[in-house]
Amino acid sequence: MATNQIDRTAKQIVLTVQEYSLFAWHSFLNLFRPPIYWSEFLVQADVIGVGSLSIVVLSGISTGGVLALQSTATLAAFGATAMTGQFVSLTMIRELGPVLTGIMVSGRNASSMASELGSMVVTEQIDAMRALGVDPLRKLVTPRIFSSAAMLFFLTIISDACGILGGAAVTVFMNHQDGPQYFSMAWEHLRHPDIVQGLIKPVFFGYILGSIGCFYGLRTTGGTQGVGRSTIQAVVTASVLIIFVDFLITHVLLTLFS
Amino acid sequence: MNSSLPTAQRSAGLAPEANPVVELRHATISFDGPPVLADISLTVAPGETRILLGPAGVGKSVLLKLINGLLLPDHGTILLFGEDITSMSEDELFPLRARTGMVFQEGALFDSLTVRDNVAYQLVQEHTVLDEEIDRRVHEALSFVGLDETFSLFPDSLSGGMRRRVAIARALINNPELLLYDSPTGGLDPITSTNIIELIAKQRDVHHTPSLMVTHRLQDAFALCTHRFDTAKDRMLPLPKGQADPSTTFLMLEEGRLIFDGSLHELLHSDNPFVREFLE
Repeated sequence: MATNQIDRTAKQIVLTVQEYSLFAWHSFLNLFRPPIYWSEFLVQADVIGVGSLSIVVLSGISTGGVLALQSTATLAAFGATAMTGQFVSLTMIRELGPVLTGIMVSGRNASSMASELGSMVVTEQIDAMRALGVDPLRKLVTPRIFSSAAMLFFLTIISDACGILGGAAVTVFMNHQDGPQYFSMAWEHLRHPDIVQGLIKPVFFGYILGSIGCFYGLRTTGGTQGVGRSTIQAVVTASVLIIFVDFLITHVLLTLFS
Repeated sequence: MNSSLPTAQRSAGLAPEANPVVELRHATISFDGPPVLADISLTVAPGETRILLGPAGVGKSVLLKLINGLLLPDHGTILLFGEDITSMSEDELFPLRARTGMVFQEGALFDSLTVRDNVAYQLVQEHTVLDEEIDRRVHEALSFVGLDETFSLFPDSLSGGMRRRVAIARALINNPELLLYDSPTGGLDPITSTNIIELIAKQRDVHHTPSLMVTHRLQDAFALCTHRFDTAKDRMLPLPKGQADPSTTFLMLEEGRLIFDGSLHELLHSDNPFVREFLE
């Protein structure tokens, strides 16, 4: 009995991974096959990019500030408080900027995509779209995925900048350190591989959050309760996958750049 | 009764040699369990209106989705406009679906679009029709269902009956060669239901579009079969007593199996216990 249950669950997981892989692959291919709904790309870019701006700015400033606060105490033990700028900028650009932005935007947009598409499934709007000769994958999914990837790239840059500014504010106004020195250290120790690493990650994270949100949305069954379930699954899976993929990308890029 | 004769040959007034618009041959489908539909064979001939009866949950909506390629059967063959759709990809199905109008159970209107954009959806996506022409055709389709004043409204502000009528307008705007109605009167009051049936009769008698209507409401099915649409009076009138529309025939499902296929007369005189129980 227990073996059967494990067997069923394992098969279900493998099937889900297979379906997601095919889904993500077809969504990618649709970018190169007409019809391409460019107006939908713009609408989604506005919803995902502009709509997420406030949470990205706020979380960026707070994270940069917290990093400066936490690092000062540790760095002071070594008489290295002057390194605060370097610490904040490297941490934000290489790691926290992309990951935090990815998770924040996935909390807002993967859930929104899953619930929106899920509601369309349970009210038969997706079937109606197919019956009217329109492919929901091209019309709804591909624009959402690629707008997520493109917008997360820019949102991460904004988050990095806000983080560094937040760190500067804490360093200058709370720790009473020198502002120009902070910015000088933040700038001078940045290398191209750091920036490349920080800008490649959000493209992957955007693709993950968009595809996972749409995937769970379109798999919705079981009415309004099902919509709620899909939304939770989308946010949890996207967040976990972002952190896991972050590890993989970091490992690969560090190996490449070393 | 489950006759083995093709329906097109049984239906009075229809040429026996006419190629069916829809043909199901031994179609079976299941979803993680016993078959929802098992060994279903039926046809819809040109100009024919078929009414699919059966209690809730016997697979009526699934059958409509099979015909439109929204679901694919596990076994059997489905021919739509003479083409086997069971082996077609989604991309190959879109042109065939574009020739079919489907009215979903709850209307399935896109709630983020206005009535105009809902009705015009197919035309807008085709990018071949000018905006002025689209507006003209939307007004024409909305006038057909008596809702021209809702042009700029959103579906949220419409009643259930109005939403169904907008859904019918959306299904009709591209002059479909086949109409599929999924419980178009389900959950509506008797007056609104009669209005919807009148629209279906109008489409049948004015444009002679072949159709398949799913319903569990006998009164609606009988009303459609025993009335004709009078274009001069612009309303539905009863046929003389004892007469039925020759192009309107019945199907009945019981637990995923087709147990009846025939005319109103045959339905009323069927000795199948389930049919008798359903009618009574």
